[in-house]
Amino acid sequence: MKAKGLWIVALVMILSIFVSACSGGKDVASSDDGKKDVKDGEKTKLVMYSWRPEDRSMYEKAIAAFQDKNPNIEIEFQPYKSTEYNTILTNALVSGEGPDIIQLRPYEGAKSIADNGYIMPLDDVKGVSDINEQFLDAARGSDGKVYGVPLSLNSAVIFYNKKIFKDNGIDVPTTYEEFLNVCEKLKDKGITPIAQSGRAAYLLSLTHAAIGPTAYGANDFVDKVLDGSAKLTDPEFVKSVQWMSDLKKYFPKDFVALEDNDAQTLLYTGKAAMYINGDYRLATLEDTAPDMEIGIIPGFAEEKGGTPVVTTWVDGSYAGVKNSKHPEEVKAFMEFLASPEFGKIFTDEMDRVSAISGIKPDNEIVSKLAEAVDQSSTPYLMLVHFGKGEPTTKTTFENALQGMYLGKLSVDEVAKQAEESYEKAK
Amino acid sequence: MSNLKASTEAPIISTKPKTKAPLKQRMRKHLVHLFLLPAVVLYGVFQLYPLITAVINSFYSWDGFSRDSFVGFQNFTTLLTESPFKETFIRAFTHNWIFFIVTFFTELTIAFALALVINSRLKGKGFFKTIFFVPKLLSVIVIGFLFSLILNPTSGAINVLLKTVGLDFLAQPWLGNTSTALVTIVLIHSWAGIGFSMLIFLASLQSVDKEIFEAARIDGAHGVSMLFKITLPMVMNSVMTMTILTFIGSFETFELIFAMQGSAGGPYYSTDVLGTYFYRLAFGSAEGGQALGLGSAIAVILFLIIACATSILLYYFKRKDFER
Repeated sequence: MKAKGLWIVALVMILSIFVSACSGGKDVASSDDGKKDVKDGEKTKLVMYSWRPEDRSMYEKAIAAFQDKNPNIEIEFQPYKSTEYNTILTNALVSGEGPDIIQLRPYEGAKSIADNGYIMPLDDVKGVSDINEQFLDAARGSDGKVYGVPLSLNSAVIFYNKKIFKDNGIDVPTTYEEFLNVCEKLKDKGITPIAQSGRAAYLLSLTHAAIGPTAYGANDFVDKVLDGSAKLTDPEFVKSVQWMSDLKKYFPKDFVALEDNDAQTLLYTGKAAMYINGDYRLATLEDTAPDMEIGIIPGFAEEKGGTPVVTTWVDGSYAGVKNSKHPEEVKAFMEFLASPEFGKIFTDEMDRVSAISGIKPDNEIVSKLAEAVDQSSTPYLMLVHFGKGEPTTKTTFENALQGMYLGKLSVDEVAKQAEESYEKAK
Repeated sequence: MSNLKASTEAPIISTKPKTKAPLKQRMRKHLVHLFLLPAVVLYGVFQLYPLITAVINSFYSWDGFSRDSFVGFQNFTTLLTESPFKETFIRAFTHNWIFFIVTFFTELTIAFALALVINSRLKGKGFFKTIFFVPKLLSVIVIGFLFSLILNPTSGAINVLLKTVGLDFLAQPWLGNTSTALVTIVLIHSWAGIGFSMLIFLASLQSVDKEIFEAARIDGAHGVSMLFKITLPMVMNSVMTMTILTFIGSFETFELIFAMQGSAGGPYYSTDVLGTYFYRLAFGSAEGGQALGLGSAIAVILFLIIACATSILLYYFKRKDFER
């Protein structure tokens, strides 16, 4: 009886293996057929990596617009978490089995990928040469060629609560001195002037980017950095760190322990009047507090009545992978990314300034900001010119600022640490 | 599992006459070793291979993407002698020691005390055992998130509580102060680990023959003398195991600090340990900057520290064991 049972089990197993093998064979055959179909219609699929999963709906719209004109190219948007993106991208590029289109980190990030020969030069792609030279610097290799189409132009700005300003009879400051007066007035009224958080050190260098240029003399100092004659221990730069230190009394109590979310909450609840961050926070602020009237101070002028200097940087750009099987299709998409059509979709969907020239945003605040950027801008010094080293000079600088606020370092020591890191990275 | 199989089956075969065993049996004898294969393969792929790769990588320079050239011990000398790597390394290493010492004195002593209490004639033992063990069931990331909320300087429960009862001066930015951040995190870590340590101690206490305690009591042992002369020596094995596990855990610690203070071990590196330093070097930040060679060197140093210290501890405890 037992033996008979075993035989039946064995028989069933053999049969099932046989059946599954047969059906497996069929599957393979059908998928082969499918591939053929695709080839007949000459439909190509491109995979696109990004570190912005939250931008999916914008990309879906943009890709749909692209496919209207290029029905044979399919684009799969594959975003990863920002903090994991670099590792995933590196692995994909090294293994050679990766995507066709990738989002590039700006400046040093783009340069190292370009210099290693993973991406294709895009100088001859239509539209690329029309983009502002300074923006293209974010995606250049050491050979001077352009390797990416810049996506957006970010600005370090000061957001303010219009109602609080109006209720307290405060005018929008245009110079640093006026800004200090505003802070003092707000403090007297029991309102935290600036909702700063310092738990993540990068937010401190972002605040320095918004405030600092007026202290170190904006582009004059940047030119000196470029020709190698400027040091971070120079009095101009030390002054900008001193300003950061002076602002401490206008930040919330224990702000080094506060998260960015906590700082935003202070702004939403009306406990704080201003908040410094990238202009890309605008959409978040508008979504979270739709009833709050928000204004933007794009930057300060040297003197009253002057043009404010806006601190800008390119956040990311898109590049084509060199060993993609469809280089022509990749270039077609790059051409689309460099077109005013994409620029318009981007700026209106995201409420951000597009890197493509001549785009008029629908959003009034963004439109004003774009105008200010056109008039006078200076690069985010730490990100654009001090992104080298291990750890980078930027990282060293922002952690030193955190140390300064905790009473561990003096103003001069912050500048000294940054300069030492820069000397090493050179 | 497969080890067990090999050792139980082998003797059965070897009891048969050794000369001219039938071919089938000799085949079976060797076939037995095949059972080890899955374990060996898994161990090789997930333990040995990464370890060996890390050791090899630590002798090479990296260009951010691929291995560059062989540089000998340069990564190690850079880490241990060059500024700012040297300072960061020493600071992180010191923090690992603080982590171990504070965990030892809080987690292990409290866990041992709890185990003693539960082992006594207490009502509702099962209930307390479960309650103390519950934190162990939470993921480290969840614990980090919850405590970040509790310790928030403006809205967090701890500071609100302190202010409500009039202890305003005690309300601190616990995680935003260089002098309190590390100890706060170690205490959270201890809180989460107490349940497990307690169970180990409890199991050990329960395995001691009750007659020993009774005999000691008749001989006049009470309270402290009972604890140090009888109870502790009887459970020394579990104390040893837990000390070594705590040491390894303290030097490998990463998740809780990463979840609460980020990879920079903020504020101003006050919670930076070798684990977070390794992560920053090996995987870089959002702005890039990977130095896998240096990162691997830290991993190798970390491995050596743990291996050496564990061997010394084991040797010391084993000797104590013989002396008894």
